[in-house]
Order: sequence, then structure tokens, then C-alpha cells
Amino acid sequence: MQESKQPEKGEVGKPGWLQVLTIVFFLFYMLIPIIATYIFSVATRWDKTILPEGYTLEGYTEVAKNPYFLITLKNSLVLSVLSVVLNLVLIVPTVYWVHVHLHAAKPLLDLLMILPFGIPGVVLALSLVQVYNFQPIHRSPFLLAAATVIFTMPYMYRSVSNNIEAIDIPTLTEAAQSLGANMVNVLTRVIIPNIFPGILSGSLLVFATVFAEFTLARLIVGASFKTFPMLLVEYTRKDGTIAAGLSVISFTIAWIVSLLILWVSGKGIKSTSDVIKAR
Amino acid sequence: MAYLELTNICKTFSSVVAVKDFNLSVEKGQLVSFLGPSGCGKTTTLRMIAGFETPDSGSILLNGENIAPIPPDKRGIGMVFQSYALFPNMTIRDNVMFGLKMQRIPKQEAVERADKVLDLVRLQNTAKRYPHQLSGGQQQRIALARALAIEPRVLLLDEPLSALDAEVRVALRGEIRRIQSDLGITTVYVTHDQEEALSISDLVVVMNNGLIEQIGSPQEIYRKPATRFVATFIGTANEFQGKISSSSSVDCGMFSLESTRLQGMPVNTPVVVLIRPENVEVFAEKPQEVKHNLFEGRIDTVTFHGAITRLAIDIGGRSITADININGQSFLSHQQNVWLCFNPDVCQVMKTE
Repeated sequence: MQESKQPEKGEVGKPGWLQVLTIVFFLFYMLIPIIATYIFSVATRWDKTILPEGYTLEGYTEVAKNPYFLITLKNSLVLSVLSVVLNLVLIVPTVYWVHVHLHAAKPLLDLLMILPFGIPGVVLALSLVQVYNFQPIHRSPFLLAAATVIFTMPYMYRSVSNNIEAIDIPTLTEAAQSLGANMVNVLTRVIIPNIFPGILSGSLLVFATVFAEFTLARLIVGASFKTFPMLLVEYTRKDGTIAAGLSVISFTIAWIVSLLILWVSGKGIKSTSDVIKAR
Repeated sequence: MAYLELTNICKTFSSVVAVKDFNLSVEKGQLVSFLGPSGCGKTTTLRMIAGFETPDSGSILLNGENIAPIPPDKRGIGMVFQSYALFPNMTIRDNVMFGLKMQRIPKQEAVERADKVLDLVRLQNTAKRYPHQLSGGQQQRIALARALAIEPRVLLLDEPLSALDAEVRVALRGEIRRIQSDLGITTVYVTHDQEEALSISDLVVVMNNGLIEQIGSPQEIYRKPATRFVATFIGTANEFQGKISSSSSVDCGMFSLESTRLQGMPVNTPVVVLIRPENVEVFAEKPQEVKHNLFEGRIDTVTFHGAITRLAIDIGGRSITADININGQSFLSHQQNVWLCFNPDVCQVMKTE
């Protein structure tokens, strides 16, 4: 393990031209649409030339004037944060419990957590609307939140579960207990700090997915609780520049939130890669 | 009254008996080993002392106090695990200080005490590092320091060296013994490695199938095994089945063995005779002075082990293992005819069930 002196990844040697080409191609593939969206959002006209004919911030001022801009932004943020919180409350204790006390249930849980990937959003939304067709739940934001939680559960589950697998929770628990830690101290000082990286990356995935989610919101609540992606889709039918502006805002918010979380917990992220390296 | 007293401990896991009728008294400052094959109940017993398992019946007294109702975090018992179980998110010093923080010891004092135990395990320079930056042996020394920092009433070690290289294992067991006797800390040590148990213990408890086979000093366990299991589990032994034919001899079928250790067993009792390889004497020529237990044989294999040389010698179709100290004698070779002798004093005789 630690004693064996295997070469570090960086020591393997310089990457070959094929590797460089692959990486460059990958970066282009990922970055060009994003860069293009950013440029398009400030372009006056961009259909006959390679680069836009002129630049303007008119799209953004137009967006800011729309009263729905702040409302939808707020709705989407509330929905995303709520989904993250509900996911944390439901998934983290479940994974811990199954891992430590009920290992036999793990295959079942693994299976359940693949289902949301297999069910199209349309099917999930329409069936939820049909089943919960009574007030005050019918077509309410609560039903939408429940649906987004189901939809994003696998992201939280996978992240937390992989992290918990990577550390020996039962032995760490016993070690802490033998040193005089009660259950609260075991959880807050030993278990949660060590699965924090998993909780964090799960939260990021859930937040970003819900923030950009359209199908469920459109079909479950419709116009009564407009989310940011709904506004965006509305504008794609009216004005491409403004839609691009909204996309840029959406990207930027997702990035700021990600960077914020990563910055707050920079220490945690470092220690996961360390834990995994040490194995 | 002994410092740590286990009385009639029983533990069953879903109809499998893990520990049965376990009785043990440990004096203050002793190092006791639980030795046995995997599944013999040694770790279960240790975990009952720690409080991670509850005995079905029986009592555990520590310094006269019944600790059964006390949860593990209130027992003041330190534990070292096979997998080290250091907290990966904390520095070495924070790991060692964890127990002191739980006791709400002032920071300054906690740091001083942590540094003192780090000094004890000779790793004071690692205080600011993280567990994954240390080798396995170093991590286990930190785990030991962490358990010692709380000044535990009893120290429990659960196969602490099993995950380490042979060389580190030998060095570290010496270190554990040194620290243990310096601090005079009562210690229970679980291992499946008989050499480890014999080399560091004051008292060895040999267990098999949830039962205690024998409790004794390492010398007693090795020289006077109480049961056939102990005799074969500890070290190597040549075995001969037979039955008692007189007050000093055992009839083993093709030959008869003299022994001075029959302890008045009646004639015709079915027994097994056990002889340790180092007690087999080997001669190139027929020795004139030897009267009893002398056999002629042929060397099958010669294996050099450094300090000793192990021979497999065929006597009338039976293979005998003999450990000899060559000391420059080069008379031994494959297929050579030799003479073997078992001194009647070293022929251990045990009833077969």
C-alpha cells in the first residue's frame, strides 16, 4: 500500500500527440457551445459572418425589465435548494443505515436508485399529476419538489454511497467510541467530515440538475409556478439573443454556486482524493 | 481480586456459539494474549471487554466494578484495530488528541499529552501530517499512541500487526511490549500468530471453537500443552497414536515408545505421543549410550532455515520432523541413513478422546 513505491501519474512521461489531440478535441466539444452562447447573448446580428457584426447588452437590459425574471429566478433557486435539502435528509441517513446495519438491503437500494434514470420525465410528471389529483397537492410546487427529489435522488445516492464504501465506517465508529465519543460526536466529528466530499458533490449535481430542469416543472405546475428554464424556453420562441442571455445567467449561477461550495469546503475535497489515494 | 475478571462469559450469534464459559483473571499490568485460529471467539471476547458486544451471560469486572451496563464510550478502555482506524480527516496530532478532546481536557494540556505519547512511539515529527502520508507500521504506532493518550484502564489490541510486513511486525511487537511494560498498562492482545503470542505475553489464553483450551505462561503453553489442540497449534509436533502398554511405555503398533510422562494412566488407555522437532536427536552413527526410543531412518529432505536445519526423516514409512543445529557439521545429506532418538523425558503423552 503506502510502502510500495509506484510511479506517480505525472512521472509516466509526456503525453503523446494522440492524447493531446483527444484532449483538445474534448475541450472544443465542451467549450464551443458555451462560448458561442456567451457571444451570441451580446451579439447584434450573427448569421452571415464568422464573428458577430456588432455587440450590445440590449438582451440583458430587456431581461432585467421582465418582471418574471426575478420571480422565476427565485422560484428555481428555492426549488433547487429544497431538493438538495430533501435529498440530504432522505439519502444520507439511509445510506449510512444500510451500510452499517442492513447491508443485505444494498442491492435493492442500488436497483431502486437506477429506476429514475429509466423513467422518462414526461411519464413521471404525468403519472404524479394523475395519482395526486387532490388539493392542496395537485399541481402544486410541493408535488414538483417531490418529483425533482425523485428525479435527482440517484445523483446524491451514488456520490454518498461511493464515499461511504471508500472508508471503513463501522471501525471508525468503534475507534471513536473507544476514545470516549458519544453518537453525536461520532457523527459530527468523524462520519460526516469523512463523507462530506460525497455529500458535497451529490448536492452540486442535484442543485445543477434541478436548476436546469424543465419537463417536470412544465408538466406538473405549468404557469402557476414559473421556473427559470420555463422563462428561457418562452424566450427561445421570441428572441434568441435574450434566450442566450438567460442561458448565460443560468450557467453563471450554477458555476458561482459550485465554486462557492467548493471554496467553502476546499479542505474536504482535498481529503477525499487523499483518502482514495491512500487505499 | 484480580484487576480484570471475566466470569462464565457466554456469547451466541444466531445459534452459533462464539464464546462458551470463558473464565479469566488478569492482574494489573499484565499482558494477556488470546491466541487461536480464526473463528475461535478471541475477537468476540475482546469486543465484549470493549463493550461492542454484550455477553449473553456472565460478568466482566474491572477493578471490582461490573462494566457490563457501561456503554463503550464511558468505559475508559483503549483499543487498537487491525486496520489502524485512524481518522483520515484529521492530522496525526488531532487523531491523538481526539480522546482528550472528548474528555474536555484544556487544549494546552491536551497538546502536551499528545506530544508525550507521540514521543513514546517515536513519531513526534509526524504530528502535522495526515494518516495517509504514513506507512502502515507508522499508522499503527499512531493508533497505539491515540489509545494510550487517554490513559486507558485497559488496553485492547485486536490483531494489531496482521496487516503489516513480517519485518515491521517483529519490530513493532517488541515496541508494543516495551511501552506496555514501561507504562505498566493492563493489556489484552488478540492474535492468531503463536510466535507473536509467545514472545510478548505474560499469560497466553489458547482458544478453539469458543472454548479455552489452556491458560498459562508462554513456557507452560509450549512445554506442557494441556490438550492435543494446544500441542499441535503451538509450534510443530510429531504425533504417534498408540495405547499405554506399561507404566513407562506406549505401544504404537510397529514400535514402542518409552516416556516418563505417563502420569499413572492405566494400561490400554488410547493415547497420542507428541514430540517437538527440536527434541529429536539425530546421529550419523548408532550411539552406544542410548538405551530407549532409538530408531534407524533415512533422510528424505533437508531444509535450511538459518539458525536451524529441518529434516524430514523416514522411519519405517513414517515421516519424522527434526530440527537440528548443524554448527558446521556437514554429515547430513539426502538419502543418508541416520539414527534418531527421543529422550523419554520429552515424549508428551495425551489421552485421545
